Amino acid sequence: MSDALFRNEPVSSTPYVADGVSISLAAPLKRYSLRARTAEALETVLNVKVPQKIGATEGGIACLGPDEWLLRTPAEAAMPTGAGLPVAITDISERSICLVLEGPRAAELLMTGCPLDLDNFAVGRATRTIYETVEIIIIREGADRFHVEVWRSFAAWLWTAFTAAASH
Amino acid sequence: MSGYRLENGGRIDRNRPVEFRFDGHSYQGFAGDTLASALLANGVSLFGRSFKYHRPRGIMAAGSEEPNALISVDRGAGRFTPNLRATSVEIHAGLNAFSQNRWPSLKRDFGAINDRLGMFFPAGFYNKTFMWPRSFWEKLYEPAIRKMAGLGDAPTQEDPDIYASTYAHCDLLIVGAGPAGIDAALEAMGSNKRIILIDEQDELGGGALADPALWPWLERSRKALTDASNVTILTRTTAFGYYHDNFIGAVQRLTDHMPDNSDSPREKLWRVRAGEVVLAQGAIERPLVFDGNDTPGVMLSSAAKVFANRYGAAVGKSVALMTAHDSGWHDVFALAKAGVGIKAIIDVRTEVSSALLDEANRLGINVHLNHSVTGVNGRHRVTSIQICNNDDYLGARIDCDTLLMAGGWTPSVHLWSHSKGSLAWRDEIGAYVPDQPNENVRCVGACSGGWDFGSGVIVDMLPTPKDQSRIKAFVDFQNDVTAKDIKLAVREGFRSIEHIKRYTTNGMATDQGKTSNLNGLQIASTALAKPVTDIGLTSFRPPYTPQTFGALAGHAKGALFQPTRTTNIDGWAAENGAVFELVAQWRRARYFPKMGEDMHAAVNRECVAVRSSVGIFDASTLGKIEVVGPDAAEFLNRMYTNPWKALEPGRCRYGLLLKEDGFITDDGVSARLAPDRFHLTTTTGGAARVLNMMEDYLQTEWPDLDVWLTSTTEQYAVIALQGPNARKLLEPLVEGIDLSADAFPHMAIREGTICGIPTRLFRVSFTGELGFEINVPTAYGRAVWEQLMAEGAKFDITPYGTEAMHVLRAEKGFIIVGQDTDGTITPFDAGLDWAVGKKKPDFVGKRSMARPDIVAPGRKQLVGLLTDDPNVVLEEGAQIVADPRQPIPMTMIGHVTSSYWSETLGRSIAFALVAGGHEMMGGTLHIPMPGKTHEAKVSGMVFYDAEGARLHV
Amino acid sequence: MILIHCPYCDEKRPEIEFANAGQAHVARPLDPSSQSDEEWEAYLFIRANPRGRHHERWRHVHGCGRFFNAVRDTVTDKFETTYKAGEPRR
Ligand SMILES: [Zn+2]
Repeated sequence: MSDALFRNEPVSSTPYVADGVSISLAAPLKRYSLRARTAEALETVLNVKVPQKIGATEGGIACLGPDEWLLRTPAEAAMPTGAGLPVAITDISERSICLVLEGPRAAELLMTGCPLDLDNFAVGRATRTIYETVEIIIIREGADRFHVEVWRSFAAWLWTAFTAAASH
Repeated sequence: MSGYRLENGGRIDRNRPVEFRFDGHSYQGFAGDTLASALLANGVSLFGRSFKYHRPRGIMAAGSEEPNALISVDRGAGRFTPNLRATSVEIHAGLNAFSQNRWPSLKRDFGAINDRLGMFFPAGFYNKTFMWPRSFWEKLYEPAIRKMAGLGDAPTQEDPDIYASTYAHCDLLIVGAGPAGIDAALEAMGSNKRIILIDEQDELGGGALADPALWPWLERSRKALTDASNVTILTRTTAFGYYHDNFIGAVQRLTDHMPDNSDSPREKLWRVRAGEVVLAQGAIERPLVFDGNDTPGVMLSSAAKVFANRYGAAVGKSVALMTAHDSGWHDVFALAKAGVGIKAIIDVRTEVSSALLDEANRLGINVHLNHSVTGVNGRHRVTSIQICNNDDYLGARIDCDTLLMAGGWTPSVHLWSHSKGSLAWRDEIGAYVPDQPNENVRCVGACSGGWDFGSGVIVDMLPTPKDQSRIKAFVDFQNDVTAKDIKLAVREGFRSIEHIKRYTTNGMATDQGKTSNLNGLQIASTALAKPVTDIGLTSFRPPYTPQTFGALAGHAKGALFQPTRTTNIDGWAAENGAVFELVAQWRRARYFPKMGEDMHAAVNRECVAVRSSVGIFDASTLGKIEVVGPDAAEFLNRMYTNPWKALEPGRCRYGLLLKEDGFITDDGVSARLAPDRFHLTTTTGGAARVLNMMEDYLQTEWPDLDVWLTSTTEQYAVIALQGPNARKLLEPLVEGIDLSADAFPHMAIREGTICGIPTRLFRVSFTGELGFEINVPTAYGRAVWEQLMAEGAKFDITPYGTEAMHVLRAEKGFIIVGQDTDGTITPFDAGLDWAVGKKKPDFVGKRSMARPDIVAPGRKQLVGLLTDDPNVVLEEGAQIVADPRQPIPMTMIGHVTSSYWSETLGRSIAFALVAGGHEMMGGTLHIPMPGKTHEAKVSGMVFYDAEGARLHV
Repeated sequence: MILIHCPYCDEKRPEIEFANAGQAHVARPLDPSSQSDEEWEAYLFIRANPRGRHHERWRHVHGCGRFFNAVRDTVTDKFETTYKAGEPRR
């Protein structure tokens, strides 16, 4: 992609650091919505392992629903289109940005507005959920590290909400 | 004893004096005092005026059940909190508190005249008296009553404080940290359960805080719980509501007890999901009902013990007790030992245990068994009481400055009731206790009815020789409801406590009847000669105590009130002077005024620029859905009114979407990218709704179709380039796409790059001009926009906003769903029958188009309107009549949906929904507006370039 | 805020992740054009309003995205059961 034109991101590229948690914008990712009736149908097209269980992640692919997966990859790899096959592969790289919450208070910060019990949310798990009124996808990358995917137009609000909650 | 401060004892820190103000006077208390205890220690007995009669009132209780001493605290501009209970306000340096409901001052209150007129204010007085004439209510009665009666003033300025909010999860939530709650926590502490222990007071202990013998145990327990890593202790936190599935709302007060306002949150809302809940909320002592029981200086006996033992404050210097329960005796024994002068014990019972009598004798306290208080003397403070024998009514006067009441105990079952747990009546304590749970919850300690306060008798009212109709024996102190009021309600035919409650307002004040419900029930029971259980029970509802709106809102205020969605290009618009409007949650540029321009001038300039050269518009908010899969065309064919299967890849089509009832719900231009891939667009406001509707049909009606829907609204920034110079501007920037008219006709899509960025380039027009909509990955939206602005300078490229967009589309007769339609408009009504596939056997809404009401004549139809005076711009929403000479109210046959000044046409244009409008072409209609009724001719909706010559170039 | 068991995610999730979608088991007629006006009216507009057991559709909209069916008591607001779309009425 052109180097001549700059990317314009909805939140600051400077991490916000508070006591016990930092909030930062992840580097750009390629994202694809993968849809099919079964994980096997996608495995045939993509030639990679696709997790079966809702919430599971494997190789950058998170199973979000019975027929929905999210692939996130830093690579510029060519994706098959799935043309003519009973699958749907859609480029959603720019639909969302990813905020990284990191530190011993990361889960506590997320729980200020997310109603899930994150004490019982295993590392490696992913789910679509909500922070107050804004839909998000959370991926627990580590005990103290969450990726929070949020649609671009809501990102500024979420950043403000996170930084306010982290400062409390 | 100096003043009313005891020499010793209490948990206050006598080394830390605290200066504070009440009604403008300075007082001194100690760290650890509440406003109530500090003022009592200063000899203050008068705390407020009652709600209806403006009677002087003092402290009745020591905790959050206090009905009388409601006060306001002023913490500076915008930080005024009314209706706090003086017993729950911790003093701190600079505390500035005020009494309420009095004018001009607490001691000389004008409204007290109501008290002298008290016999004219019986139950239901307001309902009966102020009903007629109706206009008097709004203009006279209501404002006057509001000024005279009522609670503290509502704050008028914006609240500058911030509030925090969180969810929390635990395996065990314990509400109430008295001995029972602490025991439950200690017991569970050794497990690996996550435990949250909540208490409304500033320190753990509850009732144990007034029992020095328990303090060593309390300190050991507090330390053990604090050290336990699995226990979260939340003090100054009120569990205010118990909701389904063990979801409990609690508010933690973080800063109000501190001397200075801070930048940190004032309060924090805890939304707790608990595996199990233990309620240990204790019990509340019941007042006794007798003439004058609201005189300042009459209070609950347990409260006097709390003030003495916890706060080192004597409630009086010569104290009498009126009791129906053993607990009162123990309280005054404790008071006597703390150095408070005890004048007499009056017990309504004929017999009490010899142990009590012996102890009273040992302490030299006079005892009057089988006696009742029948009157209280003193207005701003008790000076003496009348007592008399229950059998022969022979009486005596006892001089005292304080009278304690011990009427037994009421388990605090509020949260249990919120959770829909059932209650059972227990005659021996005269109270309802928790019975069957509705959640995973149990009650422990006094709130379950298990206590060691001794025994007593239940009396509805103390015996009296006085004429019952002439005495004021209060039941609900906060709402000024007397025993007489409840009896009157019964005489007037009310039978259920729910009705008696609403008629008398007993238990309907901000304290929800914590001290009055059971006495009210007992009095109604006696009056009806029916057992309490036959009269029913009122329900408790959240909040347990009043909470601030700030806490409930949490951080949802200011910028965080609700998300304002912005596009990638929004920043450019802001920097270039755009005036914005909100469309759904989106912030959109409405117009771009140049120096000195108003909206009218800016919009005219923007419209002319599009028609004469080229305009640029941020269309990113348009909803977008990518429809992919072998059955994609079949699916769209079933959803939209028009046919989709024959659409060739690379071509676009206007799609009209109905609901199953046949009415238009959305529209948009969509493109076929490949045999099995479509790029749909929806209206800005309809994006989420349309996707949900399509998912609904796909998942539940046609699950056999192999097609999937993905929202791509935010994947693409969309820049509309519209105007005769659009192609010339684009040509040097685009690669991989032949932009010539033959290779890239109107209503086509091509993929290539622009400025090196991949693009889905639509050739479409919502303006009637040669136009393109450039879809690029969102992050590059602003950069591409700026390139176009730079390259477009030679064409005098003009950014335009939603207002010009509306004018341009109206000139061309394009509707906006939701503005020109209202959810009751069919394609035929809107003149869009050309977009309906007549040969399709089925699509969503098709069957409804043959419904009797839809084919009936006289439906409102969308037409154009041209005012006879071209300079008149009709008001959107203005009503339309056929004959302006008809009598008022006129028959309205429609309304104006869109109306603009068209600079291009040099006149106004409008759309309107008019009954039978399609049959009225050329006819004249009348539009009454302020000042004048305007005439307009019915026309077609396309006002400009009807043949489309400007489009196909 | 109640907890709702999503039959696809197979776990209880907080209510705010869900959206109610009206009465369940109101199937769109296979051939709407063959419907009489009365039949079509019943399909479009006539809905049950029971006191007690009610069959409803819900969507785990901020979760797995699936529509499913539920039996909820309209008096107690308690869910008796939830099951996948297409499964027989319970
Ligand atoms: Zn689910």
